[in-house]
Amino acid sequence: MRFYIQKLLFYAAAFWAAITLNFFIPRWMPGNPVDLLISKMSAGGIPVTPETKAIITTQLGGIGQGSLLEQYWAYLKNLAHGDLGVSISNYPAQVSSILGQALPWTITLIGLSTVIAFTVGILLGMFAGWKRGSFLDNLIPFVTFFQAMPYFWMALILLLVFSRIVQWFPFAGGYDTFAFPPIMPGFNGEFITSALYHGVLPATTIVLSSVAGWMMGMRNMMVSTLSEDYILTAEAKGLSPRRVRMVYAARNAILPSLSGFAISLGFVVAGSIVTEQVFSYPGIGYTLWSSVANNDYPLMQGCFLVISVAVLAANLVVDLLLGIIDPRTRSTTA
Amino acid sequence: MGVSRFRKMGLSLVGVALLASLGLTGCSNNPGGGSSTGADDGAKADDSAITVFSGQVGNYTAPNFNPFNNTGAFLQPTQGAIYESLFYFNKAQVSDPVPLLGQSYSWNDDGTVLTIKIREGVKFSDGTAMTADDVAFSLNLYASEPSMNGGTQRYDVKKVDDTTVELDFYEVGFTMEAAIVSTQAIVPKALWEDIDDPTSGTNENPVGTGPYMLADNGYTPQAITLQRNPNYWGTGDEAPTIEWVRYVTLANADAATTALQQGEVDWMGSFLPTLDDIVADSNGAITYSNTPLNTTSLFACMNPDLGCSGPQTDPAVRQAMYYAMDRTQLNEQAGAGFGTPASPTLLLNTVNEPQITNQDWLETPQTADPAKAKSLLEAAGWALGDDGIYAKDGQRLSMTVIDVSGWTDYNTIAQLLVGQFAEAGIELIVSDIAQNAWTQAEVSGSYQLSLNSVNMQASSDPYFLYNYYLSSGATAKVGESTQSNNTRYSNTEVDDAIATLATTNDDAVKAEQYGIIQQHLIDEMPMIPIYVNSALCEYNNSHATGWPEEGNLYVFPLPWGGNWGTGILLRTVRPV
Repeated sequence: MRFYIQKLLFYAAAFWAAITLNFFIPRWMPGNPVDLLISKMSAGGIPVTPETKAIITTQLGGIGQGSLLEQYWAYLKNLAHGDLGVSISNYPAQVSSILGQALPWTITLIGLSTVIAFTVGILLGMFAGWKRGSFLDNLIPFVTFFQAMPYFWMALILLLVFSRIVQWFPFAGGYDTFAFPPIMPGFNGEFITSALYHGVLPATTIVLSSVAGWMMGMRNMMVSTLSEDYILTAEAKGLSPRRVRMVYAARNAILPSLSGFAISLGFVVAGSIVTEQVFSYPGIGYTLWSSVANNDYPLMQGCFLVISVAVLAANLVVDLLLGIIDPRTRSTTA
Repeated sequence: MGVSRFRKMGLSLVGVALLASLGLTGCSNNPGGGSSTGADDGAKADDSAITVFSGQVGNYTAPNFNPFNNTGAFLQPTQGAIYESLFYFNKAQVSDPVPLLGQSYSWNDDGTVLTIKIREGVKFSDGTAMTADDVAFSLNLYASEPSMNGGTQRYDVKKVDDTTVELDFYEVGFTMEAAIVSTQAIVPKALWEDIDDPTSGTNENPVGTGPYMLADNGYTPQAITLQRNPNYWGTGDEAPTIEWVRYVTLANADAATTALQQGEVDWMGSFLPTLDDIVADSNGAITYSNTPLNTTSLFACMNPDLGCSGPQTDPAVRQAMYYAMDRTQLNEQAGAGFGTPASPTLLLNTVNEPQITNQDWLETPQTADPAKAKSLLEAAGWALGDDGIYAKDGQRLSMTVIDVSGWTDYNTIAQLLVGQFAEAGIELIVSDIAQNAWTQAEVSGSYQLSLNSVNMQASSDPYFLYNYYLSSGATAKVGESTQSNNTRYSNTEVDDAIATLATTNDDAVKAEQYGIIQQHLIDEMPMIPIYVNSALCEYNNSHATGWPEEGNLYVFPLPWGGNWGTGILLRTVRPV
């Protein structure tokens, strides 16, 4: 029990540190949102009068007003109420609604691709480690090549080949936004078909470029696990190779990968800025990037909050799970 | 194109099959792709559609159709396509105001009373009639709402009769004309009068007078669909005929280029360096227009009285830089040759040609003249040092220029200027920084030189530009935030001339003031013009024709938010 209480307390402290940094780091950046907004409006052809600055400052009232400590207090209070505030660069859109419309895309695309990459990588790694020198084992340098290739480069090549040269897949978007009458996002066949079709290339990019890591890690752990005495014992007892492979070797070998997997699941919500850029995918990557570029404090805070909560939560779950799967992680305190 | 059709057809076949298998009724056709599916053969006018890429990258964040939103976050079709102003002022060519909801307007001689005649028979998209009450209400919002007037009411609005509205100004109001008659949306009083702060909502279901209205289910975070407004007041050439208009989001110019080439996008406004090749490859389907508007310039923190420091505070140094530039090379390499020559008066030598008071000031030199630059420096007491760089009183002629990293045209200009200035004994150090830091540096004055552009303001009237960039009231000491005058330029003669421009409608008086300001600009050069940056618009003529092009720029054609001309463009193009 003490183990779990300690863990929970630790995560509570980490959470407080995270939201505090979320608040202060954006404010340490140079520049202020109002000046940026005005310079962009002026460059974009929207007339800016001498009054504009005063008007916008008033309109975005509260942002940047009062002392830093007062702002921090208000921020904590709003957070406690689940209020993430109003985005500056998208005034008057609520931060929560901006995140709400981008997150499902990201979670579905990146989440599914991560799970696929992990499952495929672990399975391939397991067999590669089980039969060293086999065809599968020789595949590793080949898949590592994809991992070593810069991410955006692979995305661009896929885009060039499959949507420009042979045009099998669409070049942009999360679904067919060019259709008339409009396809409405939601649970309808037309939308889901379209979304799946548009997700193929981005998902392929992510899977191809991350599968090698899982495969390598799993293969190497498999190899070292296989040299353990208990494997020898299991084989000597005459257990079937399948049982030795799955229950004795793989189960132990997967432990390090599992924590890595949980952490990468946590990072899913951060999106994949590069993939989303290349494929014009409507996920959260661009929102995150533009919030930073626009000094949009509330939006930045919202993005970082979601990311830090997801990463912390993923870690917490892994910590607790590992305590169950692998009793050794608890033993130092016991 | 052929394969793209195949893809679309495949997709909609899958969609239809799926719908059918789910037992749903409905038909998916795709007029956006022209005759790409069987359903479109012999397309009726009702199915006509065009797709616009407005430059929106990333998702739309909210269904914000509030024409009064003053942070520029309203969606692009809001001003112009959905809501209309009284008149349209064309920034692309010299022309009279285009009457929209107004018929005519006139000032009294003092400039204190503006009388506006309103068009009769206009209806909002919900079918209700637009009256003088709606116009008076809308203009009064602009006059009296603290969130729109900057805290000071400057005029009263009153309805004279059913077709006339009168604005009574407390002081001379000429300078407010453009903002009032050409950038103020007319909204239905009935829907807006109970709203406390009209600037702060999103107005999800817009009801305007424009040629287009939001279609049913027209908003998604990835696309906006507009439908022709059946109640639109225009007839004949002024009536929209294309049924659907779609605004889409894309991530970047690469995706936009692909979309244009594949015929998915019909109208967009992106800088495409390879545009000439794209046009040549398209068999006449793709055309473009170029309406240069903003003058890319080297801004100098030039006023030592307000705290600027560095060699650029010496006017001779700024003059030398003016002559040391090889603008032909800059335009070819940074602007892909699409830029046009700037005028040292900072006005456009196209639409503002009548207001440039000296024929010698129409164009900057297009080639470098390092000898002239050097002689200017030497006359001002600078002496060439052993390192090939001038120096004066122990201070080397070395300056840092800031620009935004990732704005590749500016980055290229900065790098080229290093070499060009070196020829004239001037050392330039380039600092590419993030946009936030760059804006901050300019506003607070913590820079020596900066690459930026001189932007046309509310209208092409030079008053707005000069007031914005040169007036003492818009500047501040280094370390404090300016309104808009970031070079810290301050000159009482110029201030007086600007004040005079604000209170006169007499062309002779105006010309005299322009002359004063322009002479100071030539002598002091707070901003050193490089070239007028291109503003390219690309059109695909296979779904619609009649786009504004060279020789017929009936509107400023960029599909940006805040461009009130978009409605006129959309009602003018015709389906193929």
